[in-house]
Amino acid sequence: MARMGMVFDLKRCIGCNACVIGCKQENSLPDGVFFTKTLSEDYGVYPSVKRVYIPTLCNHCEDAPCEKVCPSGATYTRDDGIVMVDGEKCIGCGSCAVACPYDQRSQVSKDMLDRGLFGEGQLTDFEKQGYDRFTPGTVIKCDFCSNRVDAGLDPACVVTCPTNARIFGDFDDPDSKPNRVMRERGGGQAPLAEKNTKPKVYYIS
Amino acid sequence: MSNTDAPLVGDSFKLGYRFQNFWDVPMATAFFFGELGGGTFLISMYFDFIAGMVIGLISTGVGKPFFHLTHMGVPAKSWRAVLRPDRSWISRGLISIMVFVPFGMLVVLDQAFGWSGGGFLGKLVMLVTVAAALVVMTYQGFAMSHSSSISLWNTGLMPVSSMAYALLSGTAVTLLLASVLGGLGETDLVMLQKLFLGLLVVTLAILLSLLHAAYHGTRGGQQSVTLLIKENFSMPFHGLVFGAGIVLPLIALWFGGTAPIAVFVAAIGVLIGFFSYRVLVFKAGVYEPQISFAARLGLR
Repeated sequence: MARMGMVFDLKRCIGCNACVIGCKQENSLPDGVFFTKTLSEDYGVYPSVKRVYIPTLCNHCEDAPCEKVCPSGATYTRDDGIVMVDGEKCIGCGSCAVACPYDQRSQVSKDMLDRGLFGEGQLTDFEKQGYDRFTPGTVIKCDFCSNRVDAGLDPACVVTCPTNARIFGDFDDPDSKPNRVMRERGGGQAPLAEKNTKPKVYYIS
Repeated sequence: MSNTDAPLVGDSFKLGYRFQNFWDVPMATAFFFGELGGGTFLISMYFDFIAGMVIGLISTGVGKPFFHLTHMGVPAKSWRAVLRPDRSWISRGLISIMVFVPFGMLVVLDQAFGWSGGGFLGKLVMLVTVAAALVVMTYQGFAMSHSSSISLWNTGLMPVSSMAYALLSGTAVTLLLASVLGGLGETDLVMLQKLFLGLLVVTLAILLSLLHAAYHGTRGGQQSVTLLIKENFSMPFHGLVFGAGIVLPLIALWFGGTAPIAVFVAAIGVLIGFFSYRVLVFKAGVYEPQISFAARLGLR
Protein backbone atom coordinates (compact mmCIF):
# COMPACT_ATOMS: atom_id res chain seq x y z
CA MET A 1 0.00 0.00 0.00
CA ALA A 2 1.23 3.46 -0.84
CA ARG A 3 0.30 6.76 0.78
CA MET A 4 0.94 9.47 -1.79
CA GLY A 5 1.39 12.99 -0.51
CA MET A 6 3.26 16.22 -0.95
CA VAL A 7 5.59 18.49 0.98
CA PHE A 8 5.81 22.23 0.31
CA ASP A 9 9.17 23.83 1.02
CA LEU A 10 8.18 27.40 1.81
CA LYS A 11 11.79 28.55 1.78
CA ARG A 12 11.96 27.62 -1.88
CA CYS A 13 8.58 28.86 -3.09
CA ILE A 14 8.95 32.18 -4.88
CA GLY A 15 5.27 32.68 -5.72
CA CYS A 16 5.78 32.50 -9.49
CA ASN A 17 2.53 30.52 -9.96
CA ALA A 18 4.11 28.27 -12.60
CA CYS A 19 2.52 25.37 -10.74
CA VAL A 20 -0.89 26.98 -11.14
CA ILE A 21 -0.43 27.38 -14.89
CA GLY A 22 1.03 23.88 -15.23
CA CYS A 23 -1.99 22.45 -13.42
CA LYS A 24 -4.47 24.38 -15.52
CA GLN A 25 -2.79 23.17 -18.69
CA GLU A 26 -2.48 19.55 -17.61
CA ASN A 27 -6.09 19.35 -16.48
CA SER A 28 -7.64 21.72 -19.06
CA LEU A 29 -9.30 23.64 -16.26
CA PRO A 30 -12.00 26.12 -17.25
CA ASP A 31 -11.96 29.80 -16.39
CA GLY A 32 -12.11 30.42 -12.64
CA VAL A 33 -11.24 26.86 -11.61
CA PHE A 34 -7.95 26.13 -9.86
CA PHE A 35 -6.80 22.82 -8.42
CA THR A 36 -3.82 24.55 -6.85
CA LYS A 37 -3.24 28.11 -5.73
CA THR A 38 -0.21 29.89 -4.37
CA LEU A 39 -1.56 32.17 -1.69
CA SER A 40 0.42 35.05 -0.25
CA GLU A 41 0.48 36.32 3.29
CA ASP A 42 1.90 39.69 4.26
CA TYR A 43 2.85 40.40 7.82
CA GLY A 44 4.77 42.86 9.91
CA VAL A 45 4.59 46.65 10.09
CA TYR A 46 6.18 49.03 7.60
CA PRO A 47 9.12 49.25 7.02
CA SER A 48 9.64 45.74 8.34
CA VAL A 49 7.13 43.91 6.17
CA LYS A 50 7.47 40.35 4.90
CA ARG A 51 5.57 38.19 2.46
CA VAL A 52 5.40 34.42 2.46
CA TYR A 53 3.94 32.29 -0.32
CA ILE A 54 1.80 29.35 0.66
CA PRO A 55 1.00 26.83 -2.07
CA THR A 56 -2.28 24.97 -1.58
CA LEU A 57 -4.07 22.05 -3.18
CA CYS A 58 -6.30 19.16 -2.14
CA ASN A 59 -4.66 17.63 0.94
CA HIS A 60 -5.88 14.11 0.08
CA CYS A 61 -6.79 13.63 3.72
CA GLU A 62 -6.64 10.16 5.22
CA ASP A 63 -9.84 10.90 7.11
CA ALA A 64 -11.36 12.85 4.24
CA PRO A 65 -14.52 14.71 5.33
CA CYS A 66 -15.50 15.15 1.69
CA GLU A 67 -15.68 11.39 1.26
CA LYS A 68 -17.67 10.90 4.46
CA VAL A 69 -20.45 13.30 3.48
CA CYS A 70 -20.77 12.35 -0.19
CA PRO A 71 -24.28 10.89 -0.55
CA SER A 72 -23.74 9.29 -3.94
CA GLY A 73 -20.42 7.51 -3.41
CA ALA A 74 -18.75 9.70 -6.03
CA THR A 75 -15.84 10.65 -3.76
CA TYR A 76 -13.55 7.74 -2.93
CA THR A 77 -9.97 7.06 -1.93
CA ARG A 78 -7.72 4.95 -4.13
CA ASP A 79 -5.44 2.30 -2.69
CA ASP A 80 -2.52 4.71 -2.98
CA GLY A 81 -4.35 7.32 -0.85
CA ILE A 82 -5.32 9.69 -3.65
CA VAL A 83 -8.84 11.06 -3.07
CA MET A 84 -10.82 11.02 -6.30
CA VAL A 85 -14.20 12.17 -7.63
CA ASP A 86 -16.07 9.96 -10.07
CA GLY A 87 -17.76 12.44 -12.40
CA GLU A 88 -20.24 9.78 -13.52
CA LYS A 89 -21.52 9.33 -9.97
CA CYS A 90 -21.38 12.95 -8.75
CA ILE A 91 -24.77 14.64 -8.46
CA GLY A 92 -23.39 18.13 -7.81
CA CYS A 93 -24.99 18.60 -4.39
CA GLY A 94 -21.91 20.42 -3.08
CA SER A 95 -21.83 18.54 0.23
CA CYS A 96 -18.18 17.65 -0.30
CA ALA A 97 -17.30 21.25 -1.09
CA VAL A 98 -18.78 22.62 2.12
CA ALA A 99 -17.24 19.76 4.10
CA CYS A 100 -13.70 20.42 2.87
CA PRO A 101 -12.02 22.72 5.41
CA TYR A 102 -9.47 23.73 2.78
CA ASP A 103 -11.90 25.05 0.16
CA GLN A 104 -10.27 22.88 -2.47
CA ARG A 105 -13.26 21.88 -4.56
CA SER A 106 -14.89 23.58 -7.52
CA GLN A 107 -18.17 23.04 -9.28
CA VAL A 108 -17.92 23.06 -13.05
CA SER A 109 -20.96 24.54 -14.77
CA LYS A 110 -22.20 24.15 -18.32
CA ASP A 111 -21.96 27.89 -18.76
CA MET A 112 -18.32 27.79 -17.70
CA LEU A 113 -17.52 25.19 -20.34
CA ASP A 114 -19.58 26.89 -23.06
CA ARG A 115 -18.03 30.29 -22.40
CA GLY A 116 -14.46 29.04 -22.64
CA LEU A 117 -11.29 30.64 -21.39
CA PHE A 118 -11.71 33.73 -23.55
CA GLY A 119 -15.34 34.28 -22.63
CA GLU A 120 -16.52 34.46 -26.23
CA GLY A 121 -18.11 31.04 -26.59
CA GLN A 122 -15.59 29.93 -29.20
CA LEU A 123 -13.47 27.16 -27.76
CA THR A 124 -9.90 26.60 -28.82
CA ASP A 125 -8.78 23.15 -29.97
CA PHE A 126 -7.05 22.80 -26.61
CA GLU A 127 -10.27 23.47 -24.74
CA LYS A 128 -12.30 21.18 -27.00
CA GLN A 129 -10.04 18.20 -26.28
CA GLY A 130 -9.91 19.00 -22.56
CA TYR A 131 -13.46 19.85 -21.60
CA ASP A 132 -14.74 16.41 -22.60
CA ARG A 133 -13.46 15.06 -19.31
CA PHE A 134 -15.86 17.24 -17.30
CA THR A 135 -19.51 16.53 -16.60
CA PRO A 136 -21.32 19.87 -16.23
CA GLY A 137 -22.72 20.40 -12.74
CA THR A 138 -20.30 18.06 -11.01
CA VAL A 139 -17.66 18.90 -8.43
CA ILE A 140 -14.01 18.55 -9.43
CA LYS A 141 -10.72 18.75 -7.57
CA CYS A 142 -7.02 17.96 -7.66
CA ASP A 143 -6.27 14.25 -8.02
CA PHE A 144 -2.48 14.62 -7.88
CA CYS A 145 -2.62 14.14 -11.68
CA SER A 146 -3.53 10.49 -11.06
CA ASN A 147 -3.07 9.63 -14.74
CA ARG A 148 0.54 10.81 -14.51
CA VAL A 149 1.08 9.05 -11.18
CA ASP A 150 -0.22 5.81 -12.72
CA ALA A 151 2.38 6.25 -15.45
CA GLY A 152 5.14 6.67 -12.87
CA LEU A 153 5.37 10.44 -13.29
CA ASP A 154 5.11 13.29 -10.79
CA PRO A 155 2.08 15.63 -10.85
CA ALA A 156 2.28 18.51 -13.33
CA CYS A 157 2.66 21.15 -10.62
CA VAL A 158 5.70 19.31 -9.22
CA VAL A 159 7.55 19.05 -12.53
CA THR A 160 6.69 22.65 -13.43
CA CYS A 161 8.02 24.16 -10.21
CA PRO A 162 11.32 25.87 -11.08
CA THR A 163 12.60 25.85 -7.49
CA ASN A 164 11.66 22.30 -6.46
CA ALA A 165 9.42 23.69 -3.73
CA ARG A 166 6.94 20.84 -4.27
CA ILE A 167 8.10 17.40 -3.28
CA PHE A 168 5.82 14.48 -4.15
CA GLY A 169 6.05 10.85 -3.10
CA ASP A 170 4.94 7.95 -0.97
CA PHE A 171 4.80 8.66 2.78
CA ASP A 172 4.77 4.92 3.44
CA ASP A 173 8.21 4.60 1.90
CA PRO A 174 10.83 5.73 4.46
CA ASP A 175 13.25 6.59 1.66
CA SER A 176 10.82 8.61 -0.43
CA LYS A 177 11.73 12.21 -1.24
CA PRO A 178 9.09 13.81 0.99
CA ASN A 179 10.05 11.61 3.96
CA ARG A 180 13.75 12.39 3.49
CA VAL A 181 13.12 16.13 3.30
CA MET A 182 10.83 16.03 6.33
CA ARG A 183 13.50 14.17 8.32
CA GLU A 184 16.24 16.58 7.29
CA ARG A 185 14.14 19.63 8.10
CA GLY A 186 12.75 18.38 11.41
CA GLY A 187 9.18 17.59 10.37
CA GLY A 188 6.44 19.55 8.74
CA GLN A 189 3.25 21.30 9.64
CA ALA A 190 -0.12 20.04 8.43
CA PRO A 191 -2.68 22.68 7.44
CA LEU A 192 -5.52 23.17 9.95
CA ALA A 193 -4.35 20.16 11.95
CA GLU A 194 -7.07 20.89 14.52
CA LYS A 195 -9.69 19.75 12.00
CA ASN A 196 -8.39 16.17 12.43
CA THR A 197 -8.62 15.29 8.75
CA LYS A 198 -5.07 13.85 8.63
CA PRO A 199 -3.88 15.73 5.53
CA LYS A 200 -1.16 14.15 3.39
CA VAL A 201 0.29 17.56 2.57
CA TYR A 202 2.86 19.19 4.84
CA TYR A 203 4.61 22.54 4.98
CA ILE A 204 8.26 22.96 5.92
CA SER A 205 9.82 26.33 6.49
CA MET B 1 -11.05 43.92 7.87
CA SER B 2 -12.87 42.54 10.84
CA ASN B 3 -11.80 42.38 14.43
CA THR B 4 -10.61 38.80 13.95
CA ASP B 5 -7.10 37.90 12.89
CA ALA B 6 -7.14 37.69 9.09
CA PRO B 7 -8.94 39.39 6.21
CA LEU B 8 -11.81 38.14 4.08
CA VAL B 9 -10.09 37.52 0.77
CA GLY B 10 -12.79 36.41 -1.65
CA ASP B 11 -11.35 34.49 -4.59
CA SER B 12 -8.02 36.29 -4.52
CA PHE B 13 -4.70 34.49 -4.07
CA LYS B 14 -4.33 35.90 -0.56
CA LEU B 15 -4.36 34.00 2.69
CA GLY B 16 -7.48 34.66 4.71
CA TYR B 17 -11.09 33.73 5.33
CA ARG B 18 -13.14 32.65 2.33
CA PHE B 19 -16.90 32.53 2.04
CA GLN B 20 -18.44 29.17 1.23
CA ASN B 21 -20.63 29.73 -1.80
CA PHE B 22 -21.61 26.19 -2.69
CA TRP B 23 -24.79 26.18 -0.61
CA ASP B 24 -26.82 29.28 -1.24
CA VAL B 25 -30.44 30.46 -1.49
CA PRO B 26 -31.91 27.41 -3.32
CA MET B 27 -30.41 25.02 -0.74
CA ALA B 28 -31.52 27.31 2.11
CA THR B 29 -35.04 27.36 0.64
CA ALA B 30 -35.07 23.56 0.40
CA PHE B 31 -33.97 23.29 4.04
CA PHE B 32 -36.66 25.84 4.97
CA PHE B 33 -39.45 23.91 3.27
CA GLY B 34 -38.29 20.60 4.73
CA GLU B 35 -38.20 21.79 8.32
CA LEU B 36 -41.38 23.82 7.91
CA GLY B 37 -43.22 20.84 6.43
CA GLY B 38 -42.12 18.36 9.08
CA GLY B 39 -43.00 20.75 11.89
CA THR B 40 -46.37 21.73 10.44
CA PHE B 41 -47.32 18.10 9.93
CA LEU B 42 -46.40 17.05 13.47
CA ILE B 43 -48.07 20.00 15.21
CA SER B 44 -51.20 19.66 13.04
CA MET B 45 -51.29 15.92 13.63
CA TYR B 46 -51.26 16.48 17.38
CA PHE B 47 -54.33 18.71 17.02
CA ASP B 48 -56.01 16.41 14.44
CA PHE B 49 -55.95 19.30 11.99
CA ILE B 50 -55.98 17.74 8.53
CA ALA B 51 -55.47 20.96 6.51
CA GLY B 52 -52.20 21.60 8.34
CA MET B 53 -51.04 18.03 7.82
CA VAL B 54 -51.68 18.32 4.08
CA ILE B 55 -49.81 21.64 3.88
CA GLY B 56 -46.91 20.06 5.79
CA LEU B 57 -46.73 17.17 3.34
CA ILE B 58 -46.88 19.52 0.33
CA SER B 59 -44.11 21.66 1.81
CA THR B 60 -41.81 18.67 2.34
CA GLY B 61 -42.92 16.58 -0.62
CA VAL B 62 -43.08 19.31 -3.29
CA GLY B 63 -41.37 22.52 -2.07
CA LYS B 64 -38.27 20.88 -0.66
CA PRO B 65 -37.48 18.55 -3.61
CA PHE B 66 -38.14 21.36 -6.10
CA PHE B 67 -35.51 23.62 -4.55
CA HIS B 68 -33.09 20.73 -4.04
CA LEU B 69 -33.33 19.95 -7.74
CA THR B 70 -32.85 23.64 -8.54
CA HIS B 71 -29.65 23.55 -6.51
CA MET B 72 -28.36 20.21 -7.78
CA GLY B 73 -25.62 20.29 -10.42
CA VAL B 74 -26.83 17.09 -12.08
CA PRO B 75 -30.55 16.80 -11.21
CA ALA B 76 -31.04 13.75 -13.42
CA LYS B 77 -28.74 11.75 -11.17
CA SER B 78 -30.12 13.03 -7.87
CA TRP B 79 -31.57 9.59 -7.11
CA ARG B 80 -28.00 8.58 -6.31
CA ALA B 81 -28.23 10.66 -3.13
CA VAL B 82 -29.87 7.70 -1.35
CA LEU B 83 -26.87 5.45 -1.79
CA ARG B 84 -24.80 6.21 1.33
CA PRO B 85 -27.07 6.31 4.39
CA ASP B 86 -24.24 4.63 6.33
CA ARG B 87 -22.22 7.85 6.36
CA SER B 88 -24.09 10.77 4.75
CA TRP B 89 -26.84 12.82 6.40
CA ILE B 90 -27.99 13.90 2.93
CA SER B 91 -28.73 10.24 2.14
CA ARG B 92 -30.45 9.69 5.47
CA GLY B 93 -32.53 12.82 4.96
CA LEU B 94 -33.62 11.87 1.46
CA ILE B 95 -34.65 8.40 2.62
CA SER B 96 -36.60 9.91 5.52
CA ILE B 97 -38.46 12.19 3.08
CA MET B 98 -39.26 9.19 0.89
CA VAL B 99 -40.74 7.49 3.95
CA PHE B 100 -42.39 10.57 5.47
CA VAL B 101 -44.43 11.71 2.48
CA PRO B 102 -46.26 8.45 1.56
CA PHE B 103 -46.67 7.35 5.17
CA GLY B 104 -47.87 10.85 6.05
CA MET B 105 -50.47 10.58 3.29
CA LEU B 106 -51.67 7.34 4.82
CA VAL B 107 -51.99 9.07 8.20
CA VAL B 108 -54.02 11.88 6.60
CA LEU B 109 -56.29 9.33 4.92
CA ASP B 110 -56.67 7.53 8.24
CA GLN B 111 -57.62 10.79 9.99
CA ALA B 112 -60.08 11.64 7.21
CA PHE B 113 -61.64 8.26 6.50
CA GLY B 114 -60.50 6.03 9.36
CA TRP B 115 -59.24 3.22 7.13
CA SER B 116 -57.36 1.56 9.98
CA GLY B 117 -60.26 1.64 12.41
CA GLY B 118 -57.84 2.67 15.17
CA GLY B 119 -56.02 -0.66 14.83
CA PHE B 120 -52.37 -1.66 15.09
CA LEU B 121 -51.56 -0.94 11.45
CA GLY B 122 -52.75 2.66 11.73
CA LYS B 123 -50.67 3.18 14.87
CA LEU B 124 -47.62 1.63 13.21
CA VAL B 125 -47.98 3.91 10.18
CA MET B 126 -48.30 6.90 12.49
CA LEU B 127 -45.21 5.87 14.46
CA VAL B 128 -43.11 5.50 11.31
CA THR B 129 -44.40 8.87 10.05
CA VAL B 130 -43.50 10.63 13.30
CA ALA B 131 -40.01 9.09 13.29
CA ALA B 132 -39.45 10.09 9.65
CA ALA B 133 -40.79 13.60 10.34
CA LEU B 134 -38.33 14.03 13.22
CA VAL B 135 -35.45 13.10 10.91
CA VAL B 136 -36.76 15.47 8.21
CA MET B 137 -36.91 18.26 10.80
CA THR B 138 -33.36 17.78 12.06
CA TYR B 139 -31.20 16.13 9.42
CA GLN B 140 -30.29 19.43 7.76
CA GLY B 141 -28.79 20.55 11.04
CA PHE B 142 -26.88 17.29 11.33
CA ALA B 143 -25.66 17.63 7.74
CA MET B 144 -24.29 21.07 8.57
CA SER B 145 -22.81 20.20 11.95
CA HIS B 146 -21.31 16.91 10.79
CA SER B 147 -18.08 18.29 9.33
CA SER B 148 -15.64 20.69 10.86
CA SER B 149 -14.96 22.85 7.81
CA ILE B 150 -17.37 25.71 8.56
CA SER B 151 -16.94 26.51 12.24
CA LEU B 152 -20.27 28.34 12.54
CA TRP B 153 -22.07 25.16 11.53
CA ASN B 154 -19.88 22.69 13.41
CA THR B 155 -21.92 22.66 16.61
CA GLY B 156 -24.43 20.32 18.17
CA LEU B 157 -26.76 23.31 18.45
CA MET B 158 -27.29 23.30 14.68
CA PRO B 159 -29.70 20.30 14.67
CA VAL B 160 -31.28 21.69 17.85
CA SER B 161 -31.95 24.98 16.06
CA SER B 162 -33.38 23.02 13.11
CA MET B 163 -35.80 21.26 15.45
CA ALA B 164 -36.73 24.50 17.24
CA TYR B 165 -37.41 26.37 14.01
CA ALA B 166 -39.33 23.39 12.57
CA LEU B 167 -41.64 23.31 15.59
CA LEU B 168 -41.91 27.10 15.75
CA SER B 169 -42.75 27.55 12.07
CA GLY B 170 -45.03 24.50 12.20
CA THR B 171 -46.92 26.00 15.10
CA ALA B 172 -47.12 29.34 13.29
CA VAL B 173 -48.53 27.82 10.10
CA THR B 174 -50.97 25.57 12.00
CA LEU B 175 -52.28 28.51 14.04
CA LEU B 176 -52.53 30.70 10.93
CA LEU B 177 -54.41 28.04 8.96
CA ALA B 178 -56.73 27.34 11.88
CA SER B 179 -57.45 31.06 12.22
CA VAL B 180 -58.24 31.41 8.53
CA LEU B 181 -59.97 28.09 7.81
CA GLY B 182 -61.42 27.27 11.20
CA GLY B 183 -61.51 23.66 12.32
CA LEU B 184 -60.00 24.04 15.78
CA GLY B 185 -61.82 25.01 18.98
CA GLU B 186 -60.97 28.01 21.13
CA THR B 187 -59.16 25.82 23.66
CA ASP B 188 -56.89 24.44 20.94
CA LEU B 189 -56.21 27.92 19.57
CA VAL B 190 -55.20 29.20 23.00
CA MET B 191 -52.99 26.15 23.52
CA LEU B 192 -51.35 26.77 20.13
CA GLN B 193 -50.83 30.43 21.01
CA LYS B 194 -49.13 29.50 24.28
CA LEU B 195 -47.00 26.89 22.52
CA PHE B 196 -46.10 29.53 19.94
CA LEU B 197 -44.98 31.97 22.66
CA GLY B 198 -42.98 29.28 24.43
CA LEU B 199 -41.24 28.19 21.23
CA LEU B 200 -40.32 31.79 20.41
CA VAL B 201 -38.51 32.06 23.74
CA VAL B 202 -36.84 28.66 23.30
CA THR B 203 -35.74 29.50 19.75
CA LEU B 204 -34.32 32.83 20.90
CA ALA B 205 -32.34 31.07 23.64
CA ILE B 206 -31.00 28.50 21.14
CA LEU B 207 -30.03 31.21 18.65
CA LEU B 208 -28.15 33.18 21.30
CA SER B 209 -26.44 30.01 22.55
CA LEU B 210 -25.42 29.09 19.00
CA LEU B 211 -23.91 32.52 18.37
CA HIS B 212 -22.16 32.52 21.74
CA ALA B 213 -20.70 29.04 21.24
CA ALA B 214 -19.51 29.84 17.72
CA TYR B 215 -17.97 33.16 18.73
CA HIS B 216 -16.06 31.66 21.63
CA GLY B 217 -15.21 28.38 19.87
CA THR B 218 -12.86 28.97 16.95
CA ARG B 219 -11.45 31.78 14.82
CA GLY B 220 -13.76 30.85 11.95
CA GLY B 221 -16.78 30.87 14.22
CA GLN B 222 -15.79 34.26 15.55
CA GLN B 223 -15.45 35.58 12.02
CA SER B 224 -18.90 34.26 11.03
CA VAL B 225 -20.63 35.63 14.13
CA THR B 226 -18.95 38.99 13.58
CA LEU B 227 -20.30 39.02 10.03
CA LEU B 228 -23.78 38.22 11.33
CA ILE B 229 -24.05 40.63 14.20
CA LYS B 230 -21.65 43.48 13.38
CA GLU B 231 -20.63 43.52 9.74
CA ASN B 232 -21.88 42.40 6.30
CA PHE B 233 -25.09 40.67 7.39
CA SER B 234 -25.93 42.54 10.58
CA MET B 235 -28.86 44.52 9.12
CA PRO B 236 -30.84 41.51 7.85
CA PHE B 237 -29.81 39.38 10.81
CA HIS B 238 -30.95 41.87 13.42
CA GLY B 239 -33.93 43.13 11.44
CA LEU B 240 -35.30 39.92 9.96
CA VAL B 241 -34.09 37.04 12.14
CA PHE B 242 -34.45 38.76 15.51
CA GLY B 243 -36.83 41.66 14.73
CA ALA B 244 -39.38 40.13 12.38
CA GLY B 245 -38.78 36.52 13.41
CA ILE B 246 -38.77 36.75 17.21
CA VAL B 247 -39.59 40.17 18.65
CA LEU B 248 -42.53 41.07 16.38
CA PRO B 249 -44.31 37.71 16.87
CA LEU B 250 -43.75 37.93 20.63
CA ILE B 251 -45.35 41.37 20.77
CA ALA B 252 -48.19 40.43 18.40
CA LEU B 253 -49.13 37.26 20.29
CA TRP B 254 -48.60 38.73 23.74
CA PHE B 255 -50.89 41.66 23.12
CA GLY B 256 -53.12 40.25 20.38
CA GLY B 257 -53.80 36.78 21.73
CA THR B 258 -55.49 34.59 19.12
CA ALA B 259 -56.97 37.51 17.16
CA PRO B 260 -56.58 36.73 13.44
CA ILE B 261 -54.52 39.86 12.71
CA ALA B 262 -52.13 39.10 15.57
CA VAL B 263 -51.76 35.50 14.44
CA PHE B 264 -51.20 36.63 10.85
CA VAL B 265 -48.48 39.12 11.81
CA ALA B 266 -46.80 36.62 14.14
CA ALA B 267 -46.86 33.74 11.63
CA ILE B 268 -45.60 35.79 8.70
CA GLY B 269 -42.91 37.29 10.94
CA VAL B 270 -41.73 33.85 12.01
CA LEU B 271 -41.61 32.56 8.43
CA ILE B 272 -39.60 35.60 7.32
CA GLY B 273 -37.25 35.23 10.28
CA PHE B 274 -36.78 31.50 9.76
CA PHE B 275 -36.09 31.84 6.04
CA SER B 276 -33.65 34.70 6.68
CA TYR B 277 -31.87 32.61 9.30
CA ARG B 278 -31.44 29.74 6.86
CA VAL B 279 -30.05 32.02 4.13
CA LEU B 280 -27.80 34.07 6.41
CA VAL B 281 -26.27 31.08 8.17
CA PHE B 282 -25.20 29.85 4.73
CA LYS B 283 -23.97 33.28 3.67
CA ALA B 284 -21.89 33.78 6.81
CA GLY B 285 -20.18 30.40 6.59
CA VAL B 286 -16.44 30.89 6.10
CA TYR B 287 -13.43 28.64 5.59
CA GLU B 288 -10.53 29.41 7.85
CA PRO B 289 -7.06 30.28 6.52
CA GLN B 290 -5.15 27.04 5.95
CA ILE B 291 -1.96 28.01 7.67
CA SER B 292 -0.68 31.35 8.91
CA PHE B 293 2.96 32.13 9.45
CA ALA B 294 2.21 35.55 10.81
CA ALA B 295 0.07 33.91 13.49
CA ARG B 296 2.81 31.37 14.23
CA LEU B 297 5.31 34.17 14.65
CA GLY B 298 2.96 36.05 16.93
CA LEU B 299 2.56 38.91 14.48
CA ARG B 300 -1.24 38.72 14.46
